[in-house]
Amino acid sequence: MTEENAWVVRAQQGDDDAFTQLVETYQKPVYNLCYRMLGEPDTAEDAAQETFMRAYQNLHRYDSSRAFGTWILSIAAHYCIDRLRKKKFSVFSMDAEDEDGMPFEVADPASPDPEAESVKLEDRKRLNLLLKDLDPTDRAAVIMRYWYDYSEIEIAKSLNLTVSAVKSRLHRSRKALAGMWQAEKSRAHPERRSRESLAF
Amino acid sequence: MNHLPFEEWLLNDMPVTPEQQRDLDLHLRTCAYCSALSETTRMLSTSKMAAPASGFTARFQMRLAEHKVAERRRKLWGAILFTLAGLILLMWAIGPYLASFIASPATWISTGVGWLIFLGTTLFALFDASIVIFSIVPKFLPPFVWLVLFSMFAGVGLLWSVSIWRFTQRGMPQGV
Repeated sequence: MTEENAWVVRAQQGDDDAFTQLVETYQKPVYNLCYRMLGEPDTAEDAAQETFMRAYQNLHRYDSSRAFGTWILSIAAHYCIDRLRKKKFSVFSMDAEDEDGMPFEVADPASPDPEAESVKLEDRKRLNLLLKDLDPTDRAAVIMRYWYDYSEIEIAKSLNLTVSAVKSRLHRSRKALAGMWQAEKSRAHPERRSRESLAF
Repeated sequence: MNHLPFEEWLLNDMPVTPEQQRDLDLHLRTCAYCSALSETTRMLSTSKMAAPASGFTARFQMRLAEHKVAERRRKLWGAILFTLAGLILLMWAIGPYLASFIASPATWISTGVGWLIFLGTTLFALFDASIVIFSIVPKFLPPFVWLVLFSMFAGVGLLWSVSIWRFTQRGMPQGV
């Protein structure tokens, strides 16, 4: 039995300290998922806290044949999807992230090429903003694929979808992101448009 | 512009040979859409994890403690309201009888004794009847009928137990 499984068993028996260990271990992945889904640090914090609370309340239903990480991320994803469907966010202030992934990224002045670094940073920030235009379930699939390296099977299990539905959602989202990115770049650099080929 | 097979390579994150990579690079220079697809994939793949502000676990512990207090309070109020509602219903149901019992206890005592006697005699009669049935019926029923009957009861019992076990053991649905 791994240390994590031992914490889960102890937590299921009512040991709050063991559950605290699980919170300590999974706070970053859960928070990141909520942040990428919801786009605001405060809302993401609240969603991550709520995710752990739901996990605590439903710990007796946890199927130990699955990884705890997958289970809790699944709870977080479903919670964020529900939240997004219930409330349309008028503000989506994805501020990008710093070295530790904290949501207040700034370009590193000590970098060999701070200007290029700053451009990369801006690009990542803009891409994160584009995520908000995806359907919540598509967004969750993209986040699980690229931030957590989940396979299509794992995403399907986590989001209660079929593998083919996950594939199709990932393709659709990637195409949509590319289209939006292209449009965004054309807006930002209109002079380049004449030299580039049409996408479709 | 024809994006095949480059779009497929990019969308499926397929590994490419050096020759294919060369063709892809050439295509990316002329195709804005595939170039955007490639760029977004690279950026998604290199994005970092966002971390919560420090003290997340402590904040969770506070939230959990508050939740437990609220839960205890909710249970206490629930129990108080449930008991009160039960008492009110009970009073509403037995109030008239209680009033008449208090008004004339002799009538109620005689009625109660009458009911007790009736209950006792009925139980005795049923007991006698069952003794008679159990002494007569086995003579008419062959042993295999008893076997079938007991097997049926055992089967139904087993089915019932298994259903309850499966119902309680079923895992938590995803995304509670």
